Amino acid sequence: MARNEALFEAVIKGKRPDVTAIVQQEVDKGTNVAEILMESMIPAMAEIGERFSRNEAYVPEMLIAARAMQAGLDILDPLLAAAGHEPLGKVAIGTVKGDLHDIGKNLVAMMLKGAGFEVMDLGVDCDVDKYKDAVASGAQAVLLSALLTTTMPYMKEIVEGLKGSGAKVLIGGAPVTKEYADGIGADGYADDANTAVKATKAALGLAA
Amino acid sequence: MKYKLISCEIFFREMEFLLEQSPHEIDVEFMQKGLHDIPTAEMRARIQDQVDAASEENHDAILLGYGLCNNGLDGVLARNVQLVLPRAHDCITLFFGSRQRYQEYFFSHPGTYFLTTGWIERNKIAEELKQLSIPNQTGMDMTYEELVEKYGEDNAQFLWKELCYTERNYSQITFIEMGVEPDGSFEQTAREEAVSKHWKFSKVPGDLSLIRRLLNGDWDEEDFLVVPPHHRIAANHTEAIVAAEPE
Repeated sequence: MARNEALFEAVIKGKRPDVTAIVQQEVDKGTNVAEILMESMIPAMAEIGERFSRNEAYVPEMLIAARAMQAGLDILDPLLAAAGHEPLGKVAIGTVKGDLHDIGKNLVAMMLKGAGFEVMDLGVDCDVDKYKDAVASGAQAVLLSALLTTTMPYMKEIVEGLKGSGAKVLIGGAPVTKEYADGIGADGYADDANTAVKATKAALGLAA
Repeated sequence: MKYKLISCEIFFREMEFLLEQSPHEIDVEFMQKGLHDIPTAEMRARIQDQVDAASEENHDAILLGYGLCNNGLDGVLARNVQLVLPRAHDCITLFFGSRQRYQEYFFSHPGTYFLTTGWIERNKIAEELKQLSIPNQTGMDMTYEELVEKYGEDNAQFLWKELCYTERNYSQITFIEMGVEPDGSFEQTAREEAVSKHWKFSKVPGDLSLIRRLLNGDWDEEDFLVVPPHHRIAANHTEAIVAAEPE
């Protein structure tokens, strides 16, 4: 199966009912479920991410695309699991202790799912133990978000707490900079949701 | 001494009250509230413009009525006049009188929205800033009707919940009583807002001492950063919050 253009467009435009209908049609036709995901849906999310990076799409467009993607995944996930399809990797994401801002964190989580990762969303106000538990449950990378300079310094404690765990730590959020990420020894940094996906892949040694 | 105060208008009543009592001659420039919502580089440029203008005048020091404010003061450069600012992440430290007290309250009361006279009467963001603001650029300040028009009913419901309903993680309003309130009306407004949002209400006494010391020239190193001429403010992500770096 080549790319299903209608499905590709429906994800990009955030047309959730259309995505559900097309995915169901394809499943009923017996199309390979991994192909539906890999050839049409994941490329659509990559495309909306690229448009976002080029300032051709904005946060609401990315959010509705991710939501439409999720509607398709709700149908595909059990079938993918049954077919033995493995996710790209398992990652955890959360906003750090004291910080309750979650729009950016949620967007990154959705983009990671849209790229094919299994994502554990740890929520907001996460202390170092929450991230440690996630790593114990198999997360290969953890992503930390902070929106305040008040809460950002806690990222350093998390990086130190996860040393030796084997998990990669990536950080982001409004006040966070590349210099800060390097300074505390994080494995990656991203300044928007699209780059967050790329940085996660890079940290895990996956092809872009 | 002759000082220039460049301050966020969020402190208007506190500054006016304390300026009357300062032994020094202080010229004042209030800046619009909401600069922390525009891109960091833009906020920094606006503060720098004020610093540059004040540096042309004859002042012994330029006082900054700001915290680090979303890194908006990171990189601001002292020309030929020293800059002085409190070591603070944001204005709430100045209302609390100490960053340690604020830090303690902040981490023990997650989900708190703070209100003061300034936060109540100067709550509106200026139109000019609104255009530049991050919430505006990300679509966070769209109304539900605008979302429906642009993205359809189904997506609008989702976007409203996900993107625009930013109050979902708050559970408390804390009114900081600074002692500059003319009557009980500000506290009443804060109480009513808490009721209407079904949040808890709490009132804590503010502490004017940090702002007072800023205006009185009482700048100990623990609580203030003095930036010598030709040095810049640098956020250093430590307990001290900011440091001075050579130009």
